[in-house]
Amino acid sequence: MSDDNNTKKVHGTVAEYTSVDTLLDACRRIRDAGYTKTDAFTPFPVHGIDAALGIKPTKLPWIALAGGLTGLTIALMMQIWMNGINYPYIISGKPYISLPAFMPVAFELTILLASFGTFFGMWALNGLPKFSNPIFTDPRFDRATDDRFFLYIDAKDQSYDQAGAEKLLADTGTEYINTVVEDDSPTQIPKFLITTLITVIALSFIPALILARMRVTTSSKPRFHIFPDMDFSPARDAQQTTTLFADNRAMRPDVPGTIARGDMEDDLDFLTGIKMESLALQQINKERQLVALYPQGEDEEKPSEAAAEQGDGPEKSVMDTTPWVETNPVELTSQFVRQGQAQFNIYCSTCHGRDGRGNGLVHQRAQQIMASSWIPPASMHQDTLYSDQYPDGKLFNTISNGIRKMPGYAGQIKVRDRWAIVAYVRALQQSQNASLDFVPDSQQETIKTRKAEVEKMLKEQAEAEKKKEQERATKA
Amino acid sequence: MSKHAPAIKPADDPAFQLPAKLSALSVPLCAGGLLVLIGGWALGTFGVSNEFGMSAYLTAFIYCLTIALGATFFVLIQHLCRAGWSVVVRRVAELIMIMLVPLAFLFIPILATLWIGEGTIYKWDDPGFAEHHHLSPETWDNKLMYLNPEFFTVRSAVYLLIWVGLAVYFFRSSVRQDETGEIKATERMQKWSAPALMLLSLSMSFAMFDWVMTLAPMWFSTMFGVYMFAGGILAAHCAIAAGTFVLQKTGALRDEVTVEHYHDLGKYIFGFVFFWAYIGFSQYLLIWYANIPEETVWLFDRQIGVWAWVSLALVFFHWILPFISTMSRHVRRRPPLVFGWAVYILILHYVDIYWCVMPELFTGADGAMQAVGGAIGIFASILMAVGMATLMLGMMLRVAGQTRVAASRDPRFRESLAFENI
Repeated sequence: MSDDNNTKKVHGTVAEYTSVDTLLDACRRIRDAGYTKTDAFTPFPVHGIDAALGIKPTKLPWIALAGGLTGLTIALMMQIWMNGINYPYIISGKPYISLPAFMPVAFELTILLASFGTFFGMWALNGLPKFSNPIFTDPRFDRATDDRFFLYIDAKDQSYDQAGAEKLLADTGTEYINTVVEDDSPTQIPKFLITTLITVIALSFIPALILARMRVTTSSKPRFHIFPDMDFSPARDAQQTTTLFADNRAMRPDVPGTIARGDMEDDLDFLTGIKMESLALQQINKERQLVALYPQGEDEEKPSEAAAEQGDGPEKSVMDTTPWVETNPVELTSQFVRQGQAQFNIYCSTCHGRDGRGNGLVHQRAQQIMASSWIPPASMHQDTLYSDQYPDGKLFNTISNGIRKMPGYAGQIKVRDRWAIVAYVRALQQSQNASLDFVPDSQQETIKTRKAEVEKMLKEQAEAEKKKEQERATKA
Repeated sequence: MSKHAPAIKPADDPAFQLPAKLSALSVPLCAGGLLVLIGGWALGTFGVSNEFGMSAYLTAFIYCLTIALGATFFVLIQHLCRAGWSVVVRRVAELIMIMLVPLAFLFIPILATLWIGEGTIYKWDDPGFAEHHHLSPETWDNKLMYLNPEFFTVRSAVYLLIWVGLAVYFFRSSVRQDETGEIKATERMQKWSAPALMLLSLSMSFAMFDWVMTLAPMWFSTMFGVYMFAGGILAAHCAIAAGTFVLQKTGALRDEVTVEHYHDLGKYIFGFVFFWAYIGFSQYLLIWYANIPEETVWLFDRQIGVWAWVSLALVFFHWILPFISTMSRHVRRRPPLVFGWAVYILILHYVDIYWCVMPELFTGADGAMQAVGGAIGIFASILMAVGMATLMLGMMLRVAGQTRVAASRDPRFRESLAFENI
């Protein structure tokens, strides 16, 4: 302790120990003497030092808990808002608000915010970041990371007086006591650090500025592509041409002799929805072409392009000479129709709507954004689509190969399931045109009385309207 | 270090002996437990059905078994990590572990039904199963290559032999050390703990596949073994905490086990409550999301009728309630509270096993009550579980009476005495 020290501001007193046991004894002594603003510095964690110094249990767990709960709440609210309210969208046939699916995100965000709470809470509680501490001025303090233990009493402690603290510490088996004074090393931050920092901050504004500028200006130059090969994939799309093959087709037909799994079991009529024998009588070439395609797998080649393109028109096309399969080749059972319903709801209802009126989610969305190239999906409930004008086989073909905007579903839906959808569509159509005979006898009476009631009510309303009209007329 | 380690008491000190109060209970508990077990089985079999009696027996058996296997895992992991803190409570875990020996014999009735062909609960043994469930003969023949009484018996014997071998080896070495105090024994146990752990984990997982999962022959979940393990290790920690607490209350280990040890056991209980839920949810989410019929059927059966309520009860009372309640350090540092929650979770562990085993007695929506067996069925199931657990307790006290209740000459015993949480 030089005289020089006496003129500087005193921050506290530090003592050095050579073993854990003497340190802990000293800790207990100063704790019992009533000091609270104290700290111990050790090269390794020492069990029980909190109790010896009288440090209260930390508040950190509560911060972590609060962080975790915040994360949980945010995650659940965010997902419920996004998927259930703002943009309700069915994924995998689950409900909009399907908690099990939200759990992983909720779990991760809980953990994330709990760790943030712990990490930054610890910083806050410890007053970090702290770039310097007066105790570093002590010439022997470096050994705190090596083989010495230090005990420090802060001058801000209420019961601190320098002489008393030194006397108390001298009694605890220490050989070195020092007064911790203000650090008088220069506090100036080196110029080059400041320059670098300012430069980095200035540079970091550039991308943001570019973005901001781009938001408000237009440009006639083509877009800048950072990853051109990702924006313009060299892979060919369906229906495109290529120079790679002699026939210039990018889509390759199956290798001759390829047999799709399960397709050997079914006949061609079942696979195409066309009566092949009748077709052979009409168009032998077309038939040959089709037979060559099956059962090598259902190619996207449309068996009857003319029919598929025009078949859905307002009047029954005279061009359609294809001998479609008239009735569903699968035996109709309630289980089969229900299977069709499930498939319809999965694949078709997004556009055609669950009731088949052509008002599915995709269509609604297309209307919302006013998609110019969108062709509205057909309603199932129109005369031209009833089985007398639109045979089951043709409907099957449309599902398989698509029509207008609708893509073919041969790749997604199994053959049998496509027939099941056909059966269900027929059931849907009937459900909108059912006569009273379809209703079980036991319920016919109730429906009749209900009908009579409604008719009566309508009649009364109409009469009341008429009366009002007349009154108004007379008044006028 | 803060507190000087107290001197270790001499080996014959009453602190290390099973209190007389408890050792007197051994024979009555054994006899009573056996009677209750048989009574419960008779009630279930003749009051409801053969299959019901056997199913409830399997539930009770798996309940006790998972706890014993969890305790074995605890012992092995302590050796593997060369843990110091746990030495004072390790003998309690070892006593639970050695119950694998009597449990091996208690598996015989389940095998017997398979061989007699009467009242077996494994549906794969039913020759009409494939036809009844419209399974392709090819699939079913492949299944039967694994699921047949002969191979099943061989596998079960292998599992039981592994467990009995492990339990006897680690228990004997530890007890012998009480006399000799040799450090070599600890070193040997440490060396063998790693391969033992691998053997235990694999055999336990496969045993749970064979004994519980194949109750629904066409269902599979690769996670099922881990799920059962998660419940078992949780219950084992509870059993260790509860057993230690009872020993302390009756006079043993008074100075040896401190609040610090309860704190650590409490941390384990807290952690494994969540681990159990985590594994259970992982299994659920994958099956639920993929929505593949042969996988969802198992969970679907547990979402209809009374089973929906049991499933929900597990979520709220096996996970949320104990998770929130044991979160606080203050709870974990109060031994009576740790004891209370341990007993609570031990009861809920039975519900968990019950939920895994019993619904397989029925298929479809209309048979839910058949799987519960009505009031008689529930009563019989509880009787069997209580009976078997009591029988195990009696045997444990018998073994404990002949040895000590703490491994007092373990080289790390002093370290364990002085253990303190930060």
